[in-house]
Amino acid sequence: MARLNISFTRVVSAWVITLHLILLPALYFGLGYVIRKSHEELFVESARTFARVIADEFEVGAALESRARTEDLLDLAILHADGKYAEVIEGGDSIRSKLETANVVAPRATDLNFDENGDSIYFVVLPILHAGRNAELRIGFDAEPTIEKIHLAQRRLLALLGTYFTVAIVIALVLSHRLSRPIQRLRDVSRAIARGDYTQPIQIATGIRELHDLAADLEKMRSELVGVNIRLQAQIKEREASELRREELQKQLRQKQRLETVGTLAGGVAHEFNNVLVPIILFTDMALQDLPAESVSRSDLERVLASARRAKDVVKKILTFSRELGDSKMSAVDLRVVLAEGLSLLRALGPPSVEIRTQVADRIPLIRADPTLALHIIINLCTNAFQSMQGSNGVVTVGLRTRENTAGGASLVELSVSDSGHGMDSSTVERIFEPFFTTRSVGQGTGLGLSVVHGIVESFGGVVEVESQPGVGSTFRIVFPEDQHTEHPEEPALSGE
Amino acid sequence: MHSVLIIDDEIDVREAIRRVLERSGFSVRTAEGATDGLELLRLQASDVVITDIIMPKINGVDAIHTLRTEFPQVRIIAISGGGNFGITHYKPNAITTSAYLAAAERAGAHYVLTKPFESVDLLRAVETVLGVGHA
Repeated sequence: MARLNISFTRVVSAWVITLHLILLPALYFGLGYVIRKSHEELFVESARTFARVIADEFEVGAALESRARTEDLLDLAILHADGKYAEVIEGGDSIRSKLETANVVAPRATDLNFDENGDSIYFVVLPILHAGRNAELRIGFDAEPTIEKIHLAQRRLLALLGTYFTVAIVIALVLSHRLSRPIQRLRDVSRAIARGDYTQPIQIATGIRELHDLAADLEKMRSELVGVNIRLQAQIKEREASELRREELQKQLRQKQRLETVGTLAGGVAHEFNNVLVPIILFTDMALQDLPAESVSRSDLERVLASARRAKDVVKKILTFSRELGDSKMSAVDLRVVLAEGLSLLRALGPPSVEIRTQVADRIPLIRADPTLALHIIINLCTNAFQSMQGSNGVVTVGLRTRENTAGGASLVELSVSDSGHGMDSSTVERIFEPFFTTRSVGQGTGLGLSVVHGIVESFGGVVEVESQPGVGSTFRIVFPEDQHTEHPEEPALSGE
Repeated sequence: MHSVLIIDDEIDVREAIRRVLERSGFSVRTAEGATDGLELLRLQASDVVITDIIMPKINGVDAIHTLRTEFPQVRIIAISGGGNFGITHYKPNAITTSAYLAAAERAGAHYVLTKPFESVDLLRAVETVLGVGHA
């Protein structure tokens, strides 16, 4: 564990090499020793046997009697036994074969072992006991061929072991590589899981049980992880959605509260204004009646009266916004009829650069509404849509359809007006229903239009939905409940206390 | 000569109506609230009472109820500018102008007028409740 950057293959190879580096020299020297010993023994055995045979010949025969026969026997020993040297010593007298190699040094008493002294000659010394004579036979055998055989065998052994070593290394490499492949695959897969990519199932082709089990366990863990993850993601999504719903509801609530506050204020202001307008209108009326027809002040006073009437209209709009529907006449209304009337007006009065398209369902339920105010809604929304085009070409789509009521209860009628105009950002959308809020420059509008629409729609029990994207356009959807009652018992809860 | 009593908490409204009616030959008295108005009627009857609906202390609808029981012969015109009682008296169910006036009618008002109105509207209202053409 100390060195983490060594691969499995290298570890296995290193172990195999180390093992062989220890074992192979031992094997080599062991086997070499055995080969050498067996050759040596064979050589020594045959040399001793041959020497014995020659010695026996001297003991049994009469060769020792004549110097010539002794020499003949010594020559025979050299010729037949690959000898290098043969000598018989009796007292101080020495008879040596003529066939001796000249440079052979006579053996010392110690040089009686195989391959001793570096002269490649093996000496055998035997006593000859013949007819009371005491002689000594000395023969030197040539050990060179045997030594060469030993060397050859040792070289072959070395080659054999070398080949074995090479093959063993190759096999170890191949095996460890094959063994490491599934391990590497497992490593890659677990790395992918650690990275967060746990979609791929773990499949390891291996015959090794431990690796197979490990892969199976990992796969089990992975699939559980996937399950847990899916559950977690679903929970997160659900939480996000509910958070979004909550925010949406809070936004709607804030919007409603603000509009209610503004409506209350507007209602109070309207009441004051209406009271202020009474003396203005009445006194101006009387002054006009008193003035002679030719008076120059007459036209001035008429202007005062006209302005007061305009002020009255403005107040009426504010009151409409704050649910003060002065002259509302509620009845069961077919919005298709109202829409047809509105469209004929809009086609006549709208800018020619704007195309009006309609998507009207064949049958829609009746709604409870004041037809004049319903027309007011359509005209107002379409006028806003025209203005959002700012004089350029565009399309306004007016739709009317039945909408499924997901909450149950009365079915719903949806009136929609979409434009391809400049759209609005979200902060604008939030404020468009406030009275006096306008994006147009001073003099182009009072900023009461959409607040009036909002007030009318609410008085019909409907809601307004706005969808807008800057640069793309806006869609206003007005959703009314189906008319379910024949009369409209609105009991005023008058209370000043 | 017919007599008219005007009950409204706004002096300019009272005075403007008074001037219009006096020019048309009515005898007019004014009161700032329902209590004062009823007091004046008890001193001397009027043919017509014009009353505002939204007033401090006693509102116009309650005043009409009292008028109808105490002075059944008096003709009543209710006038209202709508709105509400102001932020301190705000009730979430804001009452519409028509709802005020409808309440007034149910209480027994013979005619309702939405503020602001013009002098012809006012005179038409008075003539209507009196059931006579007035010069």
